[in-house]
Amino acid sequence: MNREIKNYVCPYCGETYDSSDGLKGHVFKAHKGRSLPTAEGRIRLIINKSEHIFQVEPSWTLYYLIHDKLGLTGAKQFCDRGACGSCTMIVDGKPVLSCMILAIECDGKNVETVEGIAADGHPLIEAYVNNHAMQCGYCTPGFVVTSKALLDHNQDPTEEEIVEALSGNLCRCSTYPQHPIAVKEAAGKLRSAK
Amino acid sequence: MSTHPQDQTERMLEMLDNLESDKYQLKECKFIGEKIPRRIDGLAKASGQADYTMDIQLPGMLYMRLLMSPYPHAKILKMDTSKAEKLPGVRYVLRYDDPEVMEAYIIGRNAVFFGEPDKPLSGVAHMEGELVGAAVAAETEAIAEQALSLIEIDWEERPFNLDPVAASDPSAPLSFPERYSDGNHFNRGVYDELSHGDIKKGFAEADKVVEFSFKRTANTWVGPERPCGVWKWNGDCAEVWLKHQRIHLSKSRISEWFGGIAMSKIEIHSPYQGASFGGWCQIDWNLGPLWCAALASKRSGRPVKYIFNRREDFFGGSMDEGTYFVKVGFKNDGTITVVDASLYHVNAIWPVFSPVLHLHDNTRIAHIRGQSKSISVNKGHTVPTRCEMLPPVLTQTLVLDRVAAELGMDPTEVALKNDGCMGHDMEWVREEKKKRGFPGRDSLKECIDQGKAAIKWDEKWHKPGTKRLPNGRMHGIGFTWTHEWEDSKGSSEFAIRIERTDGTAALLGMGADNGVDAESTYCQIAADELGFRLEDVNYNPHVYRGFYRMTPDSSSNMSVNGWAVRHAARILKQKILESATSPSSATQRGSFQPAFPDTKPEDLDIKDSVIFSKSDPDRKMSMADFVRLDGAGGPFADDEFLGTRVGWSEPLFASSYHVQYGANNPVNPRPHFCRQAHFMEIEVDTETGEIFVTRIVNVNDVGKVINRMSCEGQQYGGSIMGVSRAKFEEVVHDPVTGVILNGNLLDYKIATMKDLGPIGTILVETGLGYGPYGLVGIGEDIATVVPSLLAPAVYNAIGKWIYDFPITPAKILKALGKI
Repeated sequence: MNREIKNYVCPYCGETYDSSDGLKGHVFKAHKGRSLPTAEGRIRLIINKSEHIFQVEPSWTLYYLIHDKLGLTGAKQFCDRGACGSCTMIVDGKPVLSCMILAIECDGKNVETVEGIAADGHPLIEAYVNNHAMQCGYCTPGFVVTSKALLDHNQDPTEEEIVEALSGNLCRCSTYPQHPIAVKEAAGKLRSAK
Repeated sequence: MSTHPQDQTERMLEMLDNLESDKYQLKECKFIGEKIPRRIDGLAKASGQADYTMDIQLPGMLYMRLLMSPYPHAKILKMDTSKAEKLPGVRYVLRYDDPEVMEAYIIGRNAVFFGEPDKPLSGVAHMEGELVGAAVAAETEAIAEQALSLIEIDWEERPFNLDPVAASDPSAPLSFPERYSDGNHFNRGVYDELSHGDIKKGFAEADKVVEFSFKRTANTWVGPERPCGVWKWNGDCAEVWLKHQRIHLSKSRISEWFGGIAMSKIEIHSPYQGASFGGWCQIDWNLGPLWCAALASKRSGRPVKYIFNRREDFFGGSMDEGTYFVKVGFKNDGTITVVDASLYHVNAIWPVFSPVLHLHDNTRIAHIRGQSKSISVNKGHTVPTRCEMLPPVLTQTLVLDRVAAELGMDPTEVALKNDGCMGHDMEWVREEKKKRGFPGRDSLKECIDQGKAAIKWDEKWHKPGTKRLPNGRMHGIGFTWTHEWEDSKGSSEFAIRIERTDGTAALLGMGADNGVDAESTYCQIAADELGFRLEDVNYNPHVYRGFYRMTPDSSSNMSVNGWAVRHAARILKQKILESATSPSSATQRGSFQPAFPDTKPEDLDIKDSVIFSKSDPDRKMSMADFVRLDGAGGPFADDEFLGTRVGWSEPLFASSYHVQYGANNPVNPRPHFCRQAHFMEIEVDTETGEIFVTRIVNVNDVGKVINRMSCEGQQYGGSIMGVSRAKFEEVVHDPVTGVILNGNLLDYKIATMKDLGPIGTILVETGLGYGPYGLVGIGEDIATVVPSLLAPAVYNAIGKWIYDFPITPAKILKALGKI
C-alpha cells in the first residue's frame, strides 16, 4: 500500500500525496494556469530560429539528434571525441562541440548550424567558396560555424585572433592558409553592410 | 546526321601514344590557367549541403558494425553469439562460419595481404583490427556496438612481429603461418629490384663512400570521413553508396558476388568523400564489409549501412614505413657515382617501387641498385598514402643532401650537378626533349632559381649548426627536389552532352571527389575547347551516366581525364558546327533548314556560347536558340504549319577516352622532364627540442597550369600534411601486446592551423609534361616530398642527422646529447 501512496507525485514540483484527490487539489491550487508538464526526455530547442520539440534518449548527443534524427547533416563527425571541431554548432552564442554535449542538456537553448548560417546568406559562405577554403569539404562546415561564432563577437578580427579561434578545427587536406583570408573577407563585408 | 571527321579521329589516336608533347594546343584560352574563384563543389561544401556516404540514411536502414581482432595475431577457437542475437534491436548476426561466408572468395577485407583471395570474415587475425568472427546489423549503430560486446570468444593468442628487420630473421615467429610457412618475406624475398650500371665500378670510381640507414615508423592517412558504405537491394538489382576511390573497379568486383550480378543491374552512388588520400583506394580492402552488408541486406530484406569507428581507421598505414640501408659513392666535386640501397618494407603488398626509383628517374648517376623487401609483420598493411613514391623520394632527399653535407657543398649545386635522367646526362635529356617535340627548357634550374630567390637562399644558407638566432633558437634551412610524376596506368572515359532548352553543356563521367576541385578544372578545359562561357559548362561526378573517369581515381587524373575531356569537347564542337550548317530533319511539311544556310562548318566558330560566322560576326545564334526544346514544344512550337525550321538541332553529344600506361613502363619508359624543388626554413629550440617550421617555399613545374587555385591548394595543403607527417605522425604499437596505443585524434597528432609559418607557392610552366597542353599532375607530389625535407633542415640547424621519422623533440635532444 505504501508504494501506491507514493505514486501520487506532482509532475510540476515532485510533491507527494496520499490520494488522487489530494494531488488534484494541490495541482489546482499551486500550478493553476501552467502549461501541461512535458514528458521525461522531451526537450525544446530553437534550431536556426525555428522551434523544435524532440523526445530524446538520455544518451543522445546534440550531434546525433541534429545530424541523424533531424537530418541536418552539415555538421560532421570526424574525431568523435572533441578533438577536431567538425561537429561545431553555436549554442546560445558560443561555439560548442556537438559530439561532446548531450541533447537533453540543451533543453531551451538556441542552436545555430551551418544550414542556418547559409540560409541567412552570411558572407562567410561566399568568402569560403571564393577563396577555396576547402578541399574534400568534410570539415568545412565546422570551420564556417566556428568563424561565424567569432564574427558574432568580433567583427574585425586580426589574423592572430582568427588563427586562435580556428586552431581547434582540424583539416586533413590542410586548407589552413585560406581560412583567415576568407574570414577577413567576410568580416569586411559585414562591416560595410552596416 | 553528322559524324566527326576522320582527321579528328587521327588526331585523337595520335594523342593517345603518351610519349610526345601536345602538338595541338589551343591558340587562345579564356579560362585555362586563370585564377577562377568558382568551385563547382564550393557552395554545397561551405553550406553543409554536400552529402557524404556517412550522411546517407534510407528508410528502414540497418546499421552494421563488424568485429575486429583485439590481438595482433590470434585464432578464434570458439565463438558464442547467442547473447548478441537476443539483444533487442539486433536484426541479423553474420558469423564467420556461415556457409555462404565460407564460400565467399575474391571479396577483400582489411586483412594483411588484401591482394589475395580471401573471405570477408576470418577465423584467424594477423593484425589488430582484422575483420574476424562476426558482423551485426541492428536498428541503431549503438545497438550494433553493444551486440558486438556481447559476443564471447575463446582466443588462441599467437606470437607476433612488429619490426620488419627483426621479422626477417629466420628465428622470428611466423607472422602469417597459414600462407607463408617458411619465413616472413612476402612474395619470397625481394619484391622489387631496380638497377643500372655496375655497382662495383661505381664504388671504384668514387673518391668517398658513406653508408647510413634510416627509418620511417608507422603513420597513416586519417581520412576525415570514416570507412562506410550502404547496400540496398531493389529486387535483383543492387544499389550501392560507396566511400571509395576506385568506383568502377569496385563495381566490377561487386558484379562477381552472389553468383554474379550483371553490371547493368548495379547502380553506384559516389557521394562526396571525406578524403582518404589513397588510404582506402585499395579495391579489396573495404569491399569485405560491404559484402557483409550486402548479405545481411539480402537476408534481412532491409538496406544496410556498415560503419567503422575512428580507431578502426587506424589499422593500416602509409607505404614509407620501413628501415632503409644506403651506401653511396661520390667524387669530390659532388658527382655521385653509385647508390646501393635496400628497404625492409612493412607489409607492402603492391609491386612496390624500389627505394632508388627517383634517383634512377632524375639523375645521371651511372650505377644504381635498389631492392625492396616486403616483410610481413602483424600490423596493418601499408598502402599508397598520397603516393607510393614516398620511399624513393625519401631516399633521394637523404642521399643528395648527405653527399652535399659530406663535401660542405650547397645542396642546390649538388642537385644541378647530378640532374639527368635514367643514368643519362643533361645532354641526353636535351636531345630527348627535342626528339619528343618539347621545349628546350631546363626545369630543375628554373625551379631552383625561383625558389632560392623566394626564400633568399643565398643569404640564409649556412654551415650546419652555426646560426643561433636572437631568440636563442638555432636556424636551419633545407632543400630537396625531384621530378613531377603522373605515373598510374589507367583509362578514362568522358562524354559531353548539350542540354536542350538552354544549350548548356553537361560533362558525364563518374568519379570520386577527392577535394582537389578537379571537376571545375575539367569544366575549364571543356569551356575553352567548346568556346562556351564557364558557367555554361557543368559537371556532377556523383552519379553514373555511362562513363567512368580515370581509375584509380585521384592518381594521374589530370593527365588522363584532361585528354579525354579535350577529345570529347573537340569532337563535340565539330559536331555542333556541322549540325549548324546541315538540315536537321524533314517532315511532310518540309525540311528543317540549317541554322546557318549556305555555310560550311569551317566558316563558323563559337565564343561565349554563341555560334557565329567568322566572316560576319553579326550573323550569330546562341546555343540556346540553336538547340531549343525537344518534343512538341521544340521544332514545331513556333510555326508548325509553315513547315520551316524554327530552332532544332540533332541531339548533341560526344564521348571520348584516353589510356595511359605510365612512365614506369619497363618496355618503353618515358623520361620525366618536369621538376619540383622545395625549401624549408626552421628554428630549433635546443632546450626543449621543439622544431618550428617558419617558412616553406614550394616550386612546382606543372608544365601548364589549368586551375591555378587548385594547384596552389595542393602546394600549401601538401606542405602542411608533409610537415605533419615529418614532425608529429606516428602510430605507436605496444611492444608487449602489439596493439595500437594512439588510435584517436587526441593522441595521434596532425598539424593544426598554428603549426606552420607562411608557405610560398610558385608554379613554373615549361610545357614539359605529357598531359594535354604540356601539363603534369601535382596532387600526389608535395605531401610526399616535403616530409623528407625536415631532415636536411634539422641538419642545417643543429649539425646532426636524425634518420628516424618522425623527428620529435625527444630525438632532437638525444641527437644533441641532452637525454
